[in-house]
Amino acid sequence: MTLLRVAHLTKDFGGLRAVSDLSFDLAEGELLGLIGPNGAGKTTAFNLMAGFIAPSAGKVELSGEDIVGLKPHAVVRRGIARTFQIVKPFRKLAVLENVTLAAFLHEPSRPKAEAEAVRVLETVNLSGKRDSPASDLTLGEQKRLEIARALATRPKILFLDEPMGGLNPAEIDHACELVRRIRDAGVTVILIEHHMKAIMRIADRVIVLHHGVKIADAAPSEIVRQPEVIRAYLGERAV
Amino acid sequence: MATLIQTIVSGVLTGSLYAMIAVGLTIVFGVMRIINMAHGDMVMLGMFGAYWGYALWHLDPFVSALLWVPLMFVFGMGVQRLLLRKILPSGELNTLLYTAGLSLLIANLALFFWTGDYRTINLPYALAPARPFGISIPLPAAIAFAIAIVITAVLYLFLSRTDTGRAIRATAQNPDSAALMGVDVGRIDMITFGLGTALAGAAGVLLAPSLYLYPTVGEILVVKCFVIVVLGGLGSVPGAIAGGVLLGLVESLGAVYVSVPYKDTIGFVLFLLVLLFRPAGLFGVGRS
Amino acid sequence: MTKQILAAIGIGVLLAVPYVTANPFYQHLLIMVLFWTLLGAAWNLLGGFAGQVSFGHATFLGVGAYTTMLLYLKLGWSPWLGLILGGLTGALIALPIGLICFRLRGPYFSLATLAVAEIVRLVALNWESLTAGPTGLLITHLPALNWFGSPVNWESKLPFYYIAVALTLVAMGATWFISRSRLGAYLLAIREDMDSAEAAGIDTTRAKVIALAVSAFIAGLAGGFYGLYFRYIDPDAVFSISMSVEMVFIAVVGGIATTAGPIVGAVFLVTIAEIFRERFQVGHLIFYGLLMMIVIRYMPEGIWGRVRNWLPGAKARS
Repeated sequence: MTLLRVAHLTKDFGGLRAVSDLSFDLAEGELLGLIGPNGAGKTTAFNLMAGFIAPSAGKVELSGEDIVGLKPHAVVRRGIARTFQIVKPFRKLAVLENVTLAAFLHEPSRPKAEAEAVRVLETVNLSGKRDSPASDLTLGEQKRLEIARALATRPKILFLDEPMGGLNPAEIDHACELVRRIRDAGVTVILIEHHMKAIMRIADRVIVLHHGVKIADAAPSEIVRQPEVIRAYLGERAV
Repeated sequence: MATLIQTIVSGVLTGSLYAMIAVGLTIVFGVMRIINMAHGDMVMLGMFGAYWGYALWHLDPFVSALLWVPLMFVFGMGVQRLLLRKILPSGELNTLLYTAGLSLLIANLALFFWTGDYRTINLPYALAPARPFGISIPLPAAIAFAIAIVITAVLYLFLSRTDTGRAIRATAQNPDSAALMGVDVGRIDMITFGLGTALAGAAGVLLAPSLYLYPTVGEILVVKCFVIVVLGGLGSVPGAIAGGVLLGLVESLGAVYVSVPYKDTIGFVLFLLVLLFRPAGLFGVGRS
Repeated sequence: MTKQILAAIGIGVLLAVPYVTANPFYQHLLIMVLFWTLLGAAWNLLGGFAGQVSFGHATFLGVGAYTTMLLYLKLGWSPWLGLILGGLTGALIALPIGLICFRLRGPYFSLATLAVAEIVRLVALNWESLTAGPTGLLITHLPALNWFGSPVNWESKLPFYYIAVALTLVAMGATWFISRSRLGAYLLAIREDMDSAEAAGIDTTRAKVIALAVSAFIAGLAGGFYGLYFRYIDPDAVFSISMSVEMVFIAVVGGIATTAGPIVGAVFLVTIAEIFRERFQVGHLIFYGLLMMIVIRYMPEGIWGRVRNWLPGAKARS
């Protein structure tokens, strides 16, 4: 079942076309990887789909409803949650409060929201730090906090923007496990990542962006063999 | 027609001094990302410097600039180094509030020591305005204009030709990259703030013979300065110059052709419109 | 628990004051403390909790003042009804102002509020047919009012004292209630990081507008009170930048984002103003400025923000 349909999504910043005519479908339950060299437009695509910036052209349909033009919180309400490439926790607030704020979306009463937040913190393995201020956490923990915050909004689709950036190999393994568990629990996931191994391990399908253009859309094993992809990452000589 | 030209000339003369004040504010914003609420009070200090120089030592105000401008430069560096530097890390809003406190402090110290009486400097050569082509131009205004042009030209050369000037521009574009290139950002912050303060002080000295002087004038000036800097684009020196002249013209034309009481309102409405629809400034060169 | 005890003692003290001192000067001081507490609390809702630093809050004070005064002087309406309507009018104009200014963030928002306040001041100064311009509005006598049988003596300060207490309790109550609600949590999140707040599903514009409306309502009430107490207003008294800035000071010095902070701020500032007035006649603003700088540098959480951590039962707070 197609959950998300992106059609001809385009964004121009002055003279620069950051995202160009991007189209793809996302099926329920998929784990889609979004890769591409730096500056390819991946985060911009997330920002466009999640309502943080307005597209110059194109449509984004969530379960058939066009969500272009909605403010970010309205997109969250409809079921798309996102994390940020550079983590943005509510630094001075406690970990539990960070997640409770997101849980308020579906549980207006504080006791229930907090209970939900506790539950979510458990799934990302941060229960031990619930009363610490978010600024006290390590980078890996802050990334998990950001994921917890997104999960507390009970999303249908989760956009993860480089959740493994800056993590050591052990942490990356845990992160992969976490993402898989999230998908297995019924959340559709789009994952931007640079760690190829991670993508190869967990993604069902991979889209490659280069200079804002989709140059490939296939299963992980096939992507690495496509000449356009190799050219984009390694240059002409490597093909 | 003559009225129109006269109005335009007055507007440009005043505007040039507004421009200088605004340039001071905008370079500080460009480099340190702070909006200095005390900037208007720096102008006031320049004004009173000129006044006391004249009242106590019979020093011609334009000559006294040679004394006050360097002093203001050092004062500005001192303020940045000793006071502001510690506040900057706590964020834009805290810094804004801090400079608001500083503004109150300076303006009211001045009020306390010098009283709120309006002062004027009555230069003997100000009595007879020059009349080129039938347009009345008060001499002090003309001299101020000329000196302002010179200062602005020198500033331009400084920013584009000297190492320090280039370092300032680099820091304004990207402090982290500048630091990586070997720029001592702390030193540049200090120098820039000193420069901004010196420009404000210079404008004050130059304006002193033409206005009524009182210690709380900073309040209105700083608000006008914001308007200019936003119109011209925050962080842009040419924008500040253009914005300053523009505001001078708007006020002058507004006073004559719209209505005297509402002339200030026009500036503010323009300000809001720009903030909302073209936050990078009318010329699109600032950072939004 | 300690907080509740302190609050109860505080209210008891407030109500007992008239029995302790009949000196009108001290009564006036207390009224001023309450008045500034009101304004500080009003500003705090938007600037402290939500982190939207407004330098133009005098707009709402002034609008409330003019509404109350004009309804009484021109239409003969009861000043007490006018007081409430003053608050409501403040809240009403806050809506378009908010919609305009909230499109901006951080210092740009602050500057926009300053511009709006100046525009309103200039309009009030020049629209003489409505506001009497720089001449201002003067109330020569207040209508007779019976309170539980006996007529109220408007020449005494006591009735105003009690009205001020009532208004302040309303403001404190509103602040306390909001701080414990979901809205309060949302405002603190918005203050921390607006993008993250949106990402967490928070309708940031709606939250900010509600905070602004309540804030403007309280400021409007304070404005109406100002008019009735001083019996005279003019544009430079109620719409000035100084008025706006002093509101900021009360909240920042007292304690941003706390319920009791404005009280502490008001006590400090009124006391300082009085001491200065005693010895030097002028110059209390020097101290305001200095205090502001010291607080931002060493105690950005405000005096009360710092002190309450020393109270028994305090836990680590945001």
